[in-house]
Amino acid sequence: MNNRLETFVKENRKAFDVMEPSAGLWAKIEQELDKKKKKKPVKLYLWMSAAAAIVVVFGLAWLYVGKLQNKDLEIADVSASYAKKEVHFAGLITEKRDSLAIFASANPELYKKFTADLKKLDEDYERLKAELPTSPNQTFVVKAMVKNREIQLQLLKQQLLIINQVDDYKRVNQI
Amino acid sequence: MQGSRAAQFELYKLYAKAMYNVALRILNYEEEAEDVLQEAFLDAFTRIVDFRQETTFGLWLKQIVINKSINYLRKRKMEFVSTDELSEVPDEDSFDDSEVRLQADEIRTAITELPDGYRVVLSLYLLEGYDHEEIAHILKISENTSRTQYMRAKKKLKSILEQKGMRDE
Repeated sequence: MNNRLETFVKENRKAFDVMEPSAGLWAKIEQELDKKKKKKPVKLYLWMSAAAAIVVVFGLAWLYVGKLQNKDLEIADVSASYAKKEVHFAGLITEKRDSLAIFASANPELYKKFTADLKKLDEDYERLKAELPTSPNQTFVVKAMVKNREIQLQLLKQQLLIINQVDDYKRVNQI
Repeated sequence: MQGSRAAQFELYKLYAKAMYNVALRILNYEEEAEDVLQEAFLDAFTRIVDFRQETTFGLWLKQIVINKSINYLRKRKMEFVSTDELSEVPDEDSFDDSEVRLQADEIRTAITELPDGYRVVLSLYLLEGYDHEEIAHILKISENTSRTQYMRAKKKLKSILEQKGMRDE
């Protein structure tokens, strides 16, 4: 077998790589490389903004749900028995307040004082209610709320008693 | 991670010419060879993290160039297994090799005149230094086909050179 061709090629291998690529080819490659490099940050930017959007959406959703929960959280959510008590007290309180209001026109100054005291208790109650959803010990807060109602009721009873006595005294004096 | 532009240019300068000739021998068209070269370098630069230094960068790049060139050629619907088209080529013994003027340029030009299937196998074996097992793998043909293709390609090449030699004389 004649191997002259193989031998010749092996010995003159370099002589076969004589063609040159055009001079502008590197510029083309560089251009493509630049394109790819530019692509990357854009992609990263897109991903980041997508991630940020998701975070924002979830954040808003969380806040919204949290607000709803805040609004919805009542004494009943913590303890049904306390809720019953509270409703009972609240009903009595409204009743007594109405009764008290009847005497209001006759004793405006006294009524003013009484309502101021009640207002303070009411504010305490609202504060407790606001604390309730975030409180670590909700039963404790609920207890305080019911106690507050109870005190309001006691106060109203005493106020009614006083105002009744004052009224009686006034009437007696009139006669 | 992808290396500096200066380093990339150094690699390009080092390998562009050799790789261009590899692609050109397979494809026979300068434009396609340049396209392959561009794609191969871009691939190599962006996939450089995949390069695990089991071979040299040059061999790795050469593989990319050859694979891309073969794909280009396949798009032209070349058949590697068509073997019977040149059965009338005379036997190797029937002409004297010494009469052929073995000039690199002549051989190079003669190679470009070979049909695609012959040219690719002959280039890969004779010039790129792959053995028939590797060529079989690259072209997805049997080792035997690679061998016969090469023998026939060589015969054809010699007949082309012989004809030219006679014409020149």
